[in-house]
Amino acid sequence: MKNQDWKAILRFIGIMLMAEGGLMALCLVPALHFGEYRPWTIGLCAAFTLAVGAMLWVSFGHYRQIKDRRMSYLLVTLLWVTLAVFGTLPFLATGTTSCFTRAWFEAMSGITSTGATVYADVAALPASVLLWRSMSQWFGGFGIVLLVLALSPRLGINNYSLYTAEASSADNTGKTTVKTTETVQHTLLIYLILTIVFILLLLLSGMELWDAVNLTFTNISSGGFSVNSDSIASITHTQQYILAAAMLLSGVNFTLLYLLFTLRWKRIGNRLDQFRSYIIIAITAVVFVSAGLHFKNSYAWGDAFRIGTVQTISALTTTGSVAADTTSWWTPIGFILLMLSICGSMAGSTSGGLKIMRMLILMRNARGILRNRLHPNAVNPVRLNGKPVSDHIINNVMIIFMVYGITMMLGVMGLLLCGTTPNEAIGASVGCLTGYGPGLGATGGFGSYAGFSHGAMWICSVLMLFGRLECMTVLILLLPRFWRRH
Amino acid sequence: MRKFNHRLVARLAGTLLLLLTAAMAAPIAVSLHSHDGVHMALLMSALVMGGMGLVLHNMVGRKAEYELHEKESFWITALVWIVIPMSGALPYVFTGTLPDYTDAMFESVSGFTTTGASVISDPSAIPDGILLWRAITQWIGGLGLVLFMVALVKRLQVGSLQLYDAEFSGTQQRKLHPHIAKSVSRMWHIYTLITAAMAVTLTMAGNGVLDSVCLAMSTVSTGGFMTAHNGLAGYSDTTMLIVTVFMFMSGINVALLYNFFTLRWRQLKGNQEFVVYVTVYLLAAASCTVAFGLSGNDWGRSAQYSVFHIASTISTCGFYTATPTVWPFWVSVVTFLLTLCGASAGSTGGGLKLRRLMTIFLDLRNYFTKMLHPNAVFSVKIDHKVVPTEYVNKIYGFVFLYIMFIIGGAFVLTLCGSSIAEAFCMAANNISNLGPSPLVNSMGANLEYAMLPDAAKWTLMVLMLAGRLEIFVLLAIVTPAYWKKR
Repeated sequence: MKNQDWKAILRFIGIMLMAEGGLMALCLVPALHFGEYRPWTIGLCAAFTLAVGAMLWVSFGHYRQIKDRRMSYLLVTLLWVTLAVFGTLPFLATGTTSCFTRAWFEAMSGITSTGATVYADVAALPASVLLWRSMSQWFGGFGIVLLVLALSPRLGINNYSLYTAEASSADNTGKTTVKTTETVQHTLLIYLILTIVFILLLLLSGMELWDAVNLTFTNISSGGFSVNSDSIASITHTQQYILAAAMLLSGVNFTLLYLLFTLRWKRIGNRLDQFRSYIIIAITAVVFVSAGLHFKNSYAWGDAFRIGTVQTISALTTTGSVAADTTSWWTPIGFILLMLSICGSMAGSTSGGLKIMRMLILMRNARGILRNRLHPNAVNPVRLNGKPVSDHIINNVMIIFMVYGITMMLGVMGLLLCGTTPNEAIGASVGCLTGYGPGLGATGGFGSYAGFSHGAMWICSVLMLFGRLECMTVLILLLPRFWRRH
Repeated sequence: MRKFNHRLVARLAGTLLLLLTAAMAAPIAVSLHSHDGVHMALLMSALVMGGMGLVLHNMVGRKAEYELHEKESFWITALVWIVIPMSGALPYVFTGTLPDYTDAMFESVSGFTTTGASVISDPSAIPDGILLWRAITQWIGGLGLVLFMVALVKRLQVGSLQLYDAEFSGTQQRKLHPHIAKSVSRMWHIYTLITAAMAVTLTMAGNGVLDSVCLAMSTVSTGGFMTAHNGLAGYSDTTMLIVTVFMFMSGINVALLYNFFTLRWRQLKGNQEFVVYVTVYLLAAASCTVAFGLSGNDWGRSAQYSVFHIASTISTCGFYTATPTVWPFWVSVVTFLLTLCGASAGSTGGGLKLRRLMTIFLDLRNYFTKMLHPNAVFSVKIDHKVVPTEYVNKIYGFVFLYIMFIIGGAFVLTLCGSSIAEAFCMAANNISNLGPSPLVNSMGANLEYAMLPDAAKWTLMVLMLAGRLEIFVLLAIVTPAYWKKR
């Protein structure tokens, strides 16, 4: 690990901090507009973040190249941690909490677009902090690294090693153009367009600008924070359906969206495998959940369908917006929601979870093995979109699945040891690792993580980081071998 | 197309039934001796079993060609594992111990799969004959019904390897003898000897003969049916120690035990799985001792409990004793993890098996190295032998299906009214053939399987069978590909 690489990393983090600071500065607008107490606090936070960022950028401006492969793994993790650390400033400075652990949990939940909150009553928070929460999800939800890639020609960082590190590596076929950079610019554009469209739609449906902006930010990024204590339960039915659409889109692969927007139907045709499963899973789950709500929780059919749809999509895309008090729901519905969030939606979207792409590969591989046992001489390659998947990728997927499972289990165990009840431990571990947010029991429904002990909060925040960076990138840093000189 | 050899399938199933009938002689004798009044009922069930056996063996299975192919071997395994537990349930129904057929079936499946989950709340109150019958079902199931058959039907030569594979799948055993039937009969010899040794030691330690025999059969098969309502709490310390030693032993590969007892020590060298087994056991026992001790229990007692419970869990035996006054969560966590791990491959225990986990662990290590050095090529080596990639993939596939079964089972259990945490614990305990679990206990859930609704009992039965047959067999016969004509 060379000194120069470190400097390049620091420079890079500097740039991202400046971006974060810029977004933080935008939170000054509501602070001034709503005339909150000491509006400049958030401005100071922004200024500090910007200053640190600028300082790093200026000091290490010449170091553009990261040569060592290991350093790009390090960069990814370090970046998220640093952004989370600076993300705590607004929470601490405005006095909404005086405890670093809580602020850290909230910031991590934001930047990883998880949506788990430690604030029992969100509505009581100052406007600037609320906007910052939404903003951080919008910022993080898309994946900072994709932002990074958009800027990569100027930064001179090895695109490829970063791409394998962060973006869902199962989707090797999902590049729109040869150049990753262009892909990212396209997807960023789509992201911006979607955000604007949904803000407009919500405005048209009669929502106030403030709510519309915040809810769009958190739902299009599959985050799930809200500005109301009852998440999205008290908005009108139309608005809930609009948000469901936003969530559904947030779970779609951006390449697919790009092709859709540019009307390239032919190229869409041969990459629909994952999308088909996504829709099938969504529909099946909606039917089950709605029926369950109707028959077991005596909702009227209309309500059952609406709430069922919103909640199912929210879980499948790991958003975590809550349309009704889920804690009183029939247990199997809660179970299904948890499983949906583990499954996640399409690879190459903002959502968390394991991704349907991987589930497809796992399922088809299992089927292949089964067939192989019956007909030992038959060759059964795993196919995706009609093309055989290489053994290397299958192995990759298997390993991520295992590590994901083990992490989840260790998370449950850790939370149990921190004194959480078993049901809550399962809910919180799944909720945080997948980026869904709400868990079971006290953390489910309109609840919050406020009652968790500090230890449990740290475990949860680590789980969020693991989940967002898909485990391997963070885990490799824990190996002694990683730090050894070569 | 070759015709499906249904005559042979019937004949083999018939043989096993006749054998089971012969085994009924022991409970009948005990019943007559202790005047518990169930000998007539036992005799009746023996007659029914014998009748069915004769019909299958001599009428349907007459003129069977002893030629066995993959299709039949799956069929036989699955059929035998359904028919035998079904007839094994008869004595419970006829004697009125468990008049409900679901209960009787549950007890029977739990016995043959060596799970040890019981719907009988107080075993000491049931007739002696039935008590012995329970133990016998476990003992026969311990090494496997099909393995039993292979040892018996000497004429069955072609295809018996596939049979062996169907029940003892996925572990790439080193065979004890090039001839499969000889190898199997050696396993039965050592199995019988160990059981006899344990029964004798227990009697010498001052236990009743029937008690000793039942305990020995339950222990060596890693079943876990107990003869008293409070587990082993009422037994002396010496008995506990003996049981601990034999439980530990039954988690070891039977082939290894054979080589050990026949003084072929050179064969023992370089068995990594055994080393891992011992290490895991010692570490777990030590940490639990500390956990018990630190939470205020007497240190001597702590050590005794830990050594006992960890042996019981790692071998998936499932015995328990009186719980200590304070039960630290750490112990629950460790036991739960060990439940999933299970014992050594090729032992009578259940779970995922250490050998598989070792393979996955080694593959994972290679993966990390590959992340750092993308061009390096590695292979997984166990016992200084390369495990082929294809084989590693199979193990992953197996673990994936195993987890899917746990999730699916847990879902059905939530439908039947369990909480999510309970459902997961029960599903995991039963698929790994452990049975009663301290973790479920410590969560305040009832261990009374009798209280569960019928649907839940059937679900658990499926899980037990899936775990015992290592999933593939069970899945294979429900695959469309299996029934497709070729």
